[in-house]
Amino acid sequence: MKSEIPHSGITRRRFLKDGVLVPLALILAGGGLSTLFLRRADVRGFYLRPPGALEEVRFLGACIKCGKCAQACPYNSIRMAGGEAGVGIGTPHIIARDIPCYLCPDIPCAKACPSGALDRSLEDVEKITMGTAVIVDRENCLSLRGLRCEVCYRQCPLIDKAITLQPRHNERTGFHSIMEPVIHREKCVGCGICENACVREKPVIVVIKSPPLQKDSYEF
Amino acid sequence: MSFKWIIARRLVQVSVIALIATPLLGLTFFQGNLSAAALFGIGLADPLAFLQASLAGRVFVASFLGSALLVSAFYLITGGRTFCGWVCPVYLITEIGDKFRGRLGTGGRSYPLATVRWSFAVTLALSLATGIPLFEVLSPIGISTRAVMFKALLPLLLVAVILVVEMFVARRIWCRSLCPAGGFYSLLGRFSPARVGFTRSLCTGCGKCSRVCPVEEVLVPALVDGERQVVSGDCTRCGDCIDICPTRALGVDVWYK
Repeated sequence: MKSEIPHSGITRRRFLKDGVLVPLALILAGGGLSTLFLRRADVRGFYLRPPGALEEVRFLGACIKCGKCAQACPYNSIRMAGGEAGVGIGTPHIIARDIPCYLCPDIPCAKACPSGALDRSLEDVEKITMGTAVIVDRENCLSLRGLRCEVCYRQCPLIDKAITLQPRHNERTGFHSIMEPVIHREKCVGCGICENACVREKPVIVVIKSPPLQKDSYEF
Repeated sequence: MSFKWIIARRLVQVSVIALIATPLLGLTFFQGNLSAAALFGIGLADPLAFLQASLAGRVFVASFLGSALLVSAFYLITGGRTFCGWVCPVYLITEIGDKFRGRLGTGGRSYPLATVRWSFAVTLALSLATGIPLFEVLSPIGISTRAVMFKALLPLLLVAVILVVEMFVARRIWCRSLCPAGGFYSLLGRFSPARVGFTRSLCTGCGKCSRVCPVEEVLVPALVDGERQVVSGDCTRCGDCIDICPTRALGVDVWYK
């Protein structure tokens, strides 16, 4: 008996090929290609995130790359990463040497974030933890060589809290003192103003990822 | 000259791009892009972006959910994939590409529509598994809107790849079969009251509507089986079939069942 129902022309073979195999191959090819450049952004170094950012791995999960934080920043400090950031493409970051974070008292960038990647309940700029400043090149630091530079100290928005000056005897001249800028990691918010202000061609003080806090088992 | 949907639709498509560009002019009533935005202080969010960020970042922000629900409600009322046909800049770009493809006569193959929903499901599963909002990373919608906002032009290469594939390999494959945002909105569109209606007695069977439709499968139940509406959620409510129909057999209609 012949079937009365007209055949739609879609055979099982065609359905399996066009409906299942081809899309599956496309998804796998797309996934394979994307993993080539999809690496976590912090693999390529430290990205200074805007104030209130979640810890990097969760930040990359929560940021939807809408750009509202960058649009809210009055100093254009926040820029959106390009393809070089891998999986962090389109995520906001700050290049302190170009334009640091000037720690607006109302923190408009964090308030603009819709997704929770930046903590919008953040109210106090001193509670920001973007990173920690470190003198990475002591030989080239003018203050440490005995000159009265101290630009990082004077520019620091948390002067005498995040950076203090510690005088000590200058052994080289035997006569003067060295005014050493000392960074206090529990106070430093990582805004990058010191890195931006450093007078050397290459900054000797830079913001790095805050080292993990350790329980202090030594009594002094 | 009679009213054409295409004119209204082009106006909306261009206005969306203009709106995203307004902060460049120093205007402040709009911020953000199609992932998330604020219009006169009202938060708007792509529901797919909300789902991905919540799953990948393990965060929950109530106002973000509210913004996503607001946008979902809007598209539920207006047709679901109306986002695709009227708002999405990638749809506009690939529509233009498709016009050239038609003239070149290349890449006529078309792939099934149902895979957009698979793509949506896979995106959510991978976001949860990898902790990366996968579609937000690769999204040509995000890339093209950020190109407008921040003049970040290099990632537009991905949009160019989509355009080339669509023009020379498979017609409209991104929007038809792969885009997870389209997949999400097609789920809403199935239950949307805004529909294309069909009056069989007026139809001459000329087939122009099927040729102009980007998702011509959705017309089959009406044209072949005599359904009085296009009920598929894959219909983008673009109105091209209504515009081209010489006998007005196709028109705007609301939900009847």
